[in-house]
Amino acid sequence: MSFEPITGRYINITVAGRAQRIYVEMAGEGRPVLCLHTAGADTRQWRHILNDAELAAGHRFFAFDMPWHGKSLPPHGFETEEYLLTTETYIETVLAVADALSLEKPILAGCSMGGRIALQLAALHPERFSGFIAIEASDFQPAWYDIDWFHRPDAHGGEMGAALVSTNISPHAPLADRWATLWMFMQSGPGVFRGDLSFYTKDASLIERLAMIDTSRTPVHLLVGAYDLTCTPDDAKRTADAIPGATLAVMPELGHFPMSEHPQAFRPYFMDALKRIG
Amino acid sequence: MLETLLTMQKRHNASPHILRLGRLFCETVLIEVEDQSFYLQFRDGQLISVTPGPSAKTSWRFALRTDRQALEAFWEPLPAPGFHDIFGLVKIGRGRIDGDILALVKNLRFFKEFMALGRPAANGEQPA
Repeated sequence: MSFEPITGRYINITVAGRAQRIYVEMAGEGRPVLCLHTAGADTRQWRHILNDAELAAGHRFFAFDMPWHGKSLPPHGFETEEYLLTTETYIETVLAVADALSLEKPILAGCSMGGRIALQLAALHPERFSGFIAIEASDFQPAWYDIDWFHRPDAHGGEMGAALVSTNISPHAPLADRWATLWMFMQSGPGVFRGDLSFYTKDASLIERLAMIDTSRTPVHLLVGAYDLTCTPDDAKRTADAIPGATLAVMPELGHFPMSEHPQAFRPYFMDALKRIG
Repeated sequence: MLETLLTMQKRHNASPHILRLGRLFCETVLIEVEDQSFYLQFRDGQLISVTPGPSAKTSWRFALRTDRQALEAFWEPLPAPGFHDIFGLVKIGRGRIDGDILALVKNLRFFKEFMALGRPAANGEQPA
């Protein structure tokens, strides 16, 4: 029998006074790196990075499913509530997971809404981390779609969500990885993608906080795919320009889910990002 | 343009998985390319006719409006950023989607896979 290097465990944390059972995957040895998935998806987006023997030789990677996502159940009482993620809840969740895992100043790597929250943490809680890799992340984007499309009784939100986000996947992505990436959106629980997008498309609080980020203490490196139409290279550049000392790399053959949609093309950029954090 | 759409029609109606995706889709879709318009009539997923317009008498559920150069770029095997997706065309200002957008979104994978049939086939056959 030959197992992949990734192991999965559960932790129990409290967020906003509520018990949350969180699924965590981990692999590797060395410097801790905490990885955040995008809206409407889960930890599986990081499968290739966590299984990368060379990267895992110097880093201990952790990735967790946000509550309501993947194998992390919604909290007790979810059946009567509307899921709407907020910046505050997201920040508290990331910090609670880092505490539960006893992570000592990990590098924080987040994609899309995970990249947005990485930049929020870079501004508000830099002392908890050693650096930030913000992937497909920007200060703010209003929705170019109606988020209510993705939670309706007469259609499958997951199938619609997947069809919409395919807009942001590069045509260079291998088919197997493209469809594995889309499958996660198809599997997303009812209303979860919408609830993630609600915060992502409505909370503009990061804009004025970007100048608070001190990259001399905690480096910030942004990565953006040329095929990302949700966070375009222009959006990422505008964001990087507002953070003194932040660096940016544009990945010409990648889209909004680079670590999942085209892991081979993403790998050198991520490796470079880890080196830059130093 | 008509030849390409007719080639796409043949490929579409010979693609069981696309027909399965669209099995409940019974709508007319307008494709407008500069001054040319085409009405695509789908029934139970099958594309039963491609009719050149204009036709004031033909109603449609949603429309994709773009220019010839943009559509040719969309049909490249590896399109440039923005030209790789119908919403991409809209985002870069080279396309417009009108009508019942929700009807499109409910059938988005089906319609996107139909539109992609204008790209060169795996066997090397080039669409007109």
